[in-house]
Amino acid sequence: MNNLDLLKMALGNLWKRKTRTFLTILGVIIGTSSIVIMLSLGIAMDRSFQEQLSQMGNLNMIEIHNYGYYDDSMDSRQSKKVSLNDQAVASFKQIPGVEAVMATKRAHYKMGVGRMVGYVSVIGIDPNVMEAFDFKIDQGRLLLSTDKDAMVFGKNVPMDFYNPRLRNSYDYRRGSNGNTVDLISNSLILTSDMSYGETRNNRIEEDSKYTPPKPHNVKGVGILAESFSEKDYYAYMNITALEKIIEEDRRANRQDSSSRNRGRDTNKYETISVKVKDMNDVEKVQETIKAMGFQTYSLTDMLKSMKETSAKMQAILGGIGAVSLFVAAIGITNTMIMSIYERTREIGVMKVLGANLPDIRKLFLVEAGIIGFCGGIAGLVLSYTVSFGLNKIGRGFLGSMGGTTGMSVIPIELAIAAVLFATFIGIVSGYSPARRAMNLSALEAIKTE
Amino acid sequence: MKIEVGEVCCLLGTSGSGKSTLLNLMAGLEKPTRGTIKIHGKHIEKMNEKQLAKFRQKNIGFIFQSYNLMPTLTALENVSLPLTFRGITKKIRDKAAANILKAVGLEKYIKHKPTQMSGGQQQRVGIARAFVSKPPIVFADEPTGNLDSKTTQEVLQLMLALGKENNQTIIIVTHDRSIAAFADKIYYMLDGNIEKIEENNEENRGINNEA
Repeated sequence: MNNLDLLKMALGNLWKRKTRTFLTILGVIIGTSSIVIMLSLGIAMDRSFQEQLSQMGNLNMIEIHNYGYYDDSMDSRQSKKVSLNDQAVASFKQIPGVEAVMATKRAHYKMGVGRMVGYVSVIGIDPNVMEAFDFKIDQGRLLLSTDKDAMVFGKNVPMDFYNPRLRNSYDYRRGSNGNTVDLISNSLILTSDMSYGETRNNRIEEDSKYTPPKPHNVKGVGILAESFSEKDYYAYMNITALEKIIEEDRRANRQDSSSRNRGRDTNKYETISVKVKDMNDVEKVQETIKAMGFQTYSLTDMLKSMKETSAKMQAILGGIGAVSLFVAAIGITNTMIMSIYERTREIGVMKVLGANLPDIRKLFLVEAGIIGFCGGIAGLVLSYTVSFGLNKIGRGFLGSMGGTTGMSVIPIELAIAAVLFATFIGIVSGYSPARRAMNLSALEAIKTE
Repeated sequence: MKIEVGEVCCLLGTSGSGKSTLLNLMAGLEKPTRGTIKIHGKHIEKMNEKQLAKFRQKNIGFIFQSYNLMPTLTALENVSLPLTFRGITKKIRDKAAANILKAVGLEKYIKHKPTQMSGGQQQRVGIARAFVSKPPIVFADEPTGNLDSKTTQEVLQLMLALGKENNQTIIIVTHDRSIAAFADKIYYMLDGNIEKIEENNEENRGINNEA
């Protein structure tokens, strides 16, 4: 018996008992859509976690620190001495999956723009990797590798300037009362003298021996686009230029530098950031770096625990949905058994007329499979409708908090899997009735008058 | 008991005489507790379910007392059902079915469902179904039990004519002596035993048959 004939015959049999077929399918519809909707809530939760995290920073990034402390794990003593230097940068670049490596150094300065002064944290950075690390420019331009004394500023940096001559404006928590300074200028002063520009009575410490270090002239070339991350609060400059400034300051004030030098030990850089090409590789790369003896931090750590939470939620929600699909499966089995009792005679006649035994089994399996498949498709349509409705309503009361993901997300993979699963459930439920049909004695079957 | 190829034979007996059981045994629907049944030299009592299904598909046509047509299928589909089980393509089997339906005089009822036809018409569909695959043996279990005498005559004539065309063996089970009159050979059965075997000669037969 060829498959098309089988399918036609199965459809004919189902059509003959429209109401019963429909009710059975209805069970599958409810089962499928409850699983899909429940899972879609979990997936939406997952997505919005991820969205929130990526607002906090880049999920593809791993930060490597070296605070010089040993953790309590067993290999702490033997752990080899590692330091954040060019060698480390080179070795990070070797790790498969790594797209870019950024070494940074941080220093704190006071900056003067005309009469305005402000405390600025400057991060030295390799201009070549800025783009890879999502530095986006708002005004001006990004740093170039040829820049010597150029700086770009985070969006919020200009707000931290104040005029020391105006008494009221001395409140650097609130910045310059909302007034921003134009930092794209050629005449910026950068100095490690923290009392630079202050009026006499505001001076922090009055030490006769103290000779303020020489200020450096720098120029501002750009303001970064707002990123809602820590990037908004830093100023950036070429790391070689920053190193030079630090070096100059150290030479100008030996006492000061020697004490600072001790603390710096072997680390050339304060932080090295690694950007991984594929988010899924972040964990692997992070493990590799950890194995090298570095301390690492990435948002993926947080994502991982969030994912675990949402996986648990999904399991619970999916389980609730699964119960109704299970009930639907019992419904299919019941329908098929009923149908066999009803069609005992028909099955017998088919056998006498020379139907192959596997064909009879197949016929019943196909009927059960069709119930599952139709239920799956219709259930999916229902799920999409409900999901659409949920998102509509959800936007209303969640507002902007819900993000762009909404309350319910049905990815295409879930949709396909749901239909396949429903069909599979149908076939499994139909298996035992189908076997029973196949094993009916032809004689018994035609005897029933 | 021996039945020749092309013979029309009749198992005649009252109810409970074992005639239906004998038919079922011969058709491989039931297993004998003892004894052997050979068809074309093959022991069918030794076959398993699967082999029997294949055997029936190739060698046996069956006509039922209560027609047993598939209610969801049209006359054409019912007739072509045995061919469908053999995996024959729709085009070929529809042609064969249409031809045989024409032969039984139902060319106008091709698209009708069984419920839309009279008993005689349904049994003619049943006959067409039994003969469509040209099986060497056709079993008929009380084929006219539900029909009036006029239709009975028509149906029997039809069966014998179709069987003669392809030199098919026809085995009829009945309790009606007038039907037995159509056969070449009559087995009188009583309480599970064959009481008497009677060969009909030309004169008292309803139809001519060279076996």
